[in-house]
Amino acid sequence: MNNPIIKVNQLTKSYGRHKVLNNISFEVNRGETVALIGQNGAGKTTLFSLLCGYIKADSGSMQLLGQQPGSQALFGKVSALPQDAQLDPAFSIGEQLSFYGQLQGLTARAARSETERVLALVDLAAHYQTKAGALSHGMRKRACMAQAFIGSPALILLDEPTAGLDPANALHIRELISDLSQHASFLISSHNIFELERLCNKVLYLQDGQLQQHHAQPSESTVHLSLQLAAGAEAAAVDSSEVCQQLRQLAGVKEVTAGRNHEYQLSYQPQAVDDFDIRLLQCLAANGWQYKQLSKGKSLEQQLFARKKAAIVE
Amino acid sequence: MSIMLLLRQIRLFSQVELSRLWLTRRGLMTLAATAVVWFFLLRYAIAPASEILQEPNFQKSLTAAFGMLGLHQLLNWPAPELTLYWMLSLVLLPFLSLVFTANQLSSDAARGTLRFISLRSSRTAIVLGRFCGQLVVQLCLILLSLTATLIISAVRQDGLNWQAIEAALLISCHLLIVLMPFTALMTVFSALARSSRLALSLAIVSLGVVFGLLSWLIYHQPDAAFLLEYMPGAQIWQLIPAQGWQSLQLAALPLAQTAVLLLIAQQILSRRAL
Repeated sequence: MNNPIIKVNQLTKSYGRHKVLNNISFEVNRGETVALIGQNGAGKTTLFSLLCGYIKADSGSMQLLGQQPGSQALFGKVSALPQDAQLDPAFSIGEQLSFYGQLQGLTARAARSETERVLALVDLAAHYQTKAGALSHGMRKRACMAQAFIGSPALILLDEPTAGLDPANALHIRELISDLSQHASFLISSHNIFELERLCNKVLYLQDGQLQQHHAQPSESTVHLSLQLAAGAEAAAVDSSEVCQQLRQLAGVKEVTAGRNHEYQLSYQPQAVDDFDIRLLQCLAANGWQYKQLSKGKSLEQQLFARKKAAIVE
Repeated sequence: MSIMLLLRQIRLFSQVELSRLWLTRRGLMTLAATAVVWFFLLRYAIAPASEILQEPNFQKSLTAAFGMLGLHQLLNWPAPELTLYWMLSLVLLPFLSLVFTANQLSSDAARGTLRFISLRSSRTAIVLGRFCGQLVVQLCLILLSLTATLIISAVRQDGLNWQAIEAALLISCHLLIVLMPFTALMTVFSALARSSRLALSLAIVSLGVVFGLLSWLIYHQPDAAFLLEYMPGAQIWQLIPAQGWQSLQLAALPLAQTAVLLLIAQQILSRRAL
């Protein structure tokens, strides 16, 4: 049963004559982790700002947990990591997060305890007394993220959560979001498609202010495979058209697409053959081709952006 | 928004502003600047002038010259130091208030900190909380400077009487009320501007333009002179000769001005994109 935690209906927002969001509608259900994808200027941050109540829409309606954005009933239940927002450099991050906790209704002692917990979540437990102005960019970003976890918000909106973080910390944040998504719904905006693919089970794709695609990753009658052959002296000799030709001869194959860097996208009908993976590996071995990576399903990048460049098997 | 939550959040905002005064480098610089200003005023203006104020000939001259205006009432304060503190503060503090309270909202808005706060607090609570916080900070500065004035008086007189302490309390109440509309004015401009400097510039220019327009209007239409009585600080000239707690009846105008200005600030912040 659907239980929308975000309900957006025919939302429109313009800056001057430029329509940033044009009549978009969508729902996010409780427990979902949703990706918000789009090019620069597509309207992602505007949508975030509207949902957080930072700006007002020109027309349309929005409801978060059944309430208008910015309403008192949402204090402590909806949290956000806005893009480019910074903590006050004059105070320690612990003092500021404790203050935020108290604004949410916690006692001073509970707010301090909660602050210590969320700072530990982002590996900043030792920096309770450090002023925000004395932290590195990555640490400030993590401190800003920690404020979004104070209390037990039901909905967490994260705008570019790992932008500017080193790979280790980005991985840590992804794992953290993955863990917390058991207890809260997330709406995450990012340019890192691979990150969103790992974290999210629903995609909102904004293009030129319109919601181009809005879908959960489907369970299809057609199965997709991504294959990358090993690079090297022997791989360089492989002709991609020959690979395509060999692959399309496999039983059940519907389509083979060659990409760059020895990558191939295959789609096949699983009902036609039940041991397709084994047949594929046998085909590779018979031709002396070594594979570097084989994964099932179309990548999010492929679903949204890939252009077909190679031959299509009818 | 429930009144209890609003009051709780106003208290929390005020506590943060107090922490900003006493526990941050910028706040300590404000304290140091205030201390230096009042040191020079007390040492080179108030202390020597207090001696002059006590001379009978000067008192006779003052009464003769300004008796019609009621300024001879100034001699009725229990200590001459308080007389001078009262006059200086009434003229100086409104200007200092514009400078010290210019950064109520603008920096937080420009930095994006208000985005974190607005997810936990209404914009009404933010406006009122920051305003009250600035008032508490100014009350601290007033009490500190008044204490220094009383100490100078006590040293000169070899003691301190209760009347002087009561007068100091009255002065602090009056000054706080005088500063309210100026602080609220800066709440309005800091809700509009992206920086404290711009907020201060806007306030000074706006006050200048409004006074200029009123002067032009009154020159051509003398009946409009009553409009000057609604400007922030209009009651200051009536306050100078005022004495006793009953003089607090002059507080109605600044309190009304403050309420109107805070309503304007709330409306501006509510409509502003964060």
